[in-house]
Amino acid sequence: MSTTFADQDFLSVSRKAVGASTGSDALVTLGWWDLLGELGDPEARAALFALFRAEGLELGNTCALGALTAAPYMHARNDNGTVVASIGRQSMRGGRVDLLVGDTAVDQILFDRPGIGAAIVPASEVTMRPIDISGRLAVHEIEVDAARLLPSIDEATAHVARAKSTFLGRLAIAFEILGAAEAALALAIEHAAGRVQFGQTIGSFQAVRHLLAWATTDCAAVESVAVAARDMYEGAPNRFDQVVKALAGRNGRRASERTLQVLGAIGFTAELDHHHFHSRVLLLDTVLGSSTELTVRLGAWLRDARPDPKIAYAVLLGATQQEDPLTTDVDRRELREQMR
Amino acid sequence: MSLLAPAQAALRDDVPAYTAALDRWLAEGPSALRAAARPIASYERRVDAMSELMAALYDAGWSRFGWPEHLGGHGGSIVHRGAMWYLLARHGVPSMAVFEHFEVLAPTLAALGPPEFVAEALPAFLRGRETWAQGFSEPDAGSDLALLRTRAVEAGDGYRITGRKIWTSWARYATWCLVLARTGSTESRHRGLTAFAVDLRAPGVDVRPIIQANGTDELAEVTFDDVHVPADRVVGDLDGGWTVAMHILSHERGTYAWFRQCFLYRDLVEHVPSSPGVGDRAAGDALLDLAAVSATSSAALRLHAAGATLGPRATITKLLLCNAEQSIQDLVLAGDGDLAAGRQDDEVAVLRQDYLFSRIVTIYGGSQQIQLDTIAKQLLALP
Ligand SMILES: Cc1cc2nc3c(=O)[nH]c(=O)nc-3n(C[C@H](O)[C@H](O)[C@H](O)COP(=O)(O)OP(=O)(O)OC[C@H]3O[C@@H](n4cnc5c(N)ncnc54)[C@H](O)[C@@H]3O)c2cc1C
Repeated sequence: MSTTFADQDFLSVSRKAVGASTGSDALVTLGWWDLLGELGDPEARAALFALFRAEGLELGNTCALGALTAAPYMHARNDNGTVVASIGRQSMRGGRVDLLVGDTAVDQILFDRPGIGAAIVPASEVTMRPIDISGRLAVHEIEVDAARLLPSIDEATAHVARAKSTFLGRLAIAFEILGAAEAALALAIEHAAGRVQFGQTIGSFQAVRHLLAWATTDCAAVESVAVAARDMYEGAPNRFDQVVKALAGRNGRRASERTLQVLGAIGFTAELDHHHFHSRVLLLDTVLGSSTELTVRLGAWLRDARPDPKIAYAVLLGATQQEDPLTTDVDRRELREQMR
Repeated sequence: MSLLAPAQAALRDDVPAYTAALDRWLAEGPSALRAAARPIASYERRVDAMSELMAALYDAGWSRFGWPEHLGGHGGSIVHRGAMWYLLARHGVPSMAVFEHFEVLAPTLAALGPPEFVAEALPAFLRGRETWAQGFSEPDAGSDLALLRTRAVEAGDGYRITGRKIWTSWARYATWCLVLARTGSTESRHRGLTAFAVDLRAPGVDVRPIIQANGTDELAEVTFDDVHVPADRVVGDLDGGWTVAMHILSHERGTYAWFRQCFLYRDLVEHVPSSPGVGDRAAGDALLDLAAVSATSSAALRLHAAGATLGPRATITKLLLCNAEQSIQDLVLAGDGDLAAGRQDDEVAVLRQDYLFSRIVTIYGGSQQIQLDTIAKQLLALP
């Protein structure tokens, strides 16, 4: 609803490029690498994030996520070739695991260790173990000799880059989850219009129509917060990246489930692409903070700090506003006390 | 305080500056604001307090932003109005009460109403004097609105209206009612309808309040017995009532969500954290629901400010608003047994009214099932 015609153009161009190429070729075709240097420009951001939505829709496999999250630390393409950031996750069984998401044809990999700093290691010195799940997205657990992790970017610099990188990464993943959920929805709509039971297309049954309408609503919600975050960028309110990522994960899963129900048994087969979209949503949901984890964190923040989330105001003026013009920070409890 | 022309022009073109200036004005704690921010169980007294606040906002010029100058406004767009109500909620006003129709009916009056009439009616409305009601639903025409039977027949210098409307919100407080009546045959369904601005003080009008399940009497049944309406009170075109209704619904389901969600933040931040039965996950989920409404509805405001309308996509915003309102009110109730057991003070009474009201939000403006089917049909092209 908040997308513009330019957004749709960026998306269709990106879809075409991602759909037609393997690995990271699409990034070159699209001139995507140049956009990394223009994050301050709203239009460049719109084009840059359209790529991620296209990846979800087309089940692409570029190294864009790693490149984007590496960008705040350095130039993602330097004299030594392509640099991508690995992403750490906490495994319930294996402790900290470093992941490389997407195409592995990269030259260097950035490892950021909070509290220590970031190191950049040639890809050739890293051991990669492929994770075999559907989704058509290459994911590797990677390991490197501890001695290679001496930071070349000190903690003070890395600290600043980390917040920015996390914001960008969460936003990119939200767009990719959106794309995957939209593709699952498109499959289900097509199925509902064609599949006949009881002498009529199942899309004429209200129960089916309503599942699809809810899935549409799930996707529209993700789109609107992701577009708002993209447009506000550095003017986004506190923790908005958590909101966007949590909502994307939650709604992406919901949409996958509703569309699966519409597909019936065929949706639970390897034959149909639905499982790829669904698995991609599940996978991306765990990266950079799962929806469960982030939702709990947001709720705790709400309950402990009783903040004024300011989301509403920021999104109302987001596109034009960088600074918060509100002079008074209204403490409602105090106000209510006064009123009594 | 009245605004001088240059200041007015500057604020008209700069919403952040408008917001900052209004925020300062409100922070000084005008007495009308303090009175309206207090919890008041009696709906009638609440409307009085809100009317006083509307008068103060009008006199100071703030509520005139966002409305065209030829209709008595100060210019600017719906985004000004969005900012004003956001601030009012932030400064403790609990709801818009009868003034919700500023954002449901007034945009359509401004766009499609007879200009001379609207130029008088709109300022009177904004001042909090002459409020409006919406007369669509009838006993036999609920979800299937196109079945409505209230008739308008041409008679001399105008029309005469006869019929019965029900669930007419705030009719007992209102001076005017936007009535959808049949000017064509019954078989013409939605094609033979016309919208009229009807004076509820006219002879032949009878307004009977309906006591609701939550104890307030916002709803009413309104009967029209051969009520005369001058010819220049037709809103939109003759037989063009469906277009008028759709314009209203685009606001009622779409942009209006912005205005309502402003008040939900207050519930979320003020009442949810202290609820002992509420966990972090549930509170976080409610925040996500609310963020989704803020983002979709603010985009809707910007779209309208740019001159476009939402059309059927407004249904999405409406569904998200209902989700957020219900999930937040679930949490308010969860931790507060007083709401169910009914301790007798104004604060609890208002919370209880709001909780119960949140159970029916999936009916007005078109039921949730109707919204879902609209999406399936109009956005997904299902049969
Ligand atoms: C608080 C409140 C304020 C209101 N304010 C106004 C107002 O100011 N002005 C005004 O004109 N009206 C107003 N209304 C009326 C409102 O628009 C109607 O209540 C609404 O359109 C539903 O009509 P109904 O109540 O007759 O229910 P019905 O249409 O009888 O529906 C009853 C149930 O059946 C379901 N149903 C009906 N048809 C279908 C279908 N085709 N497919 C699936 N399910 C279906 C509905 O979803 C609902 O759950 C208000 C209602 C409420 C509750």
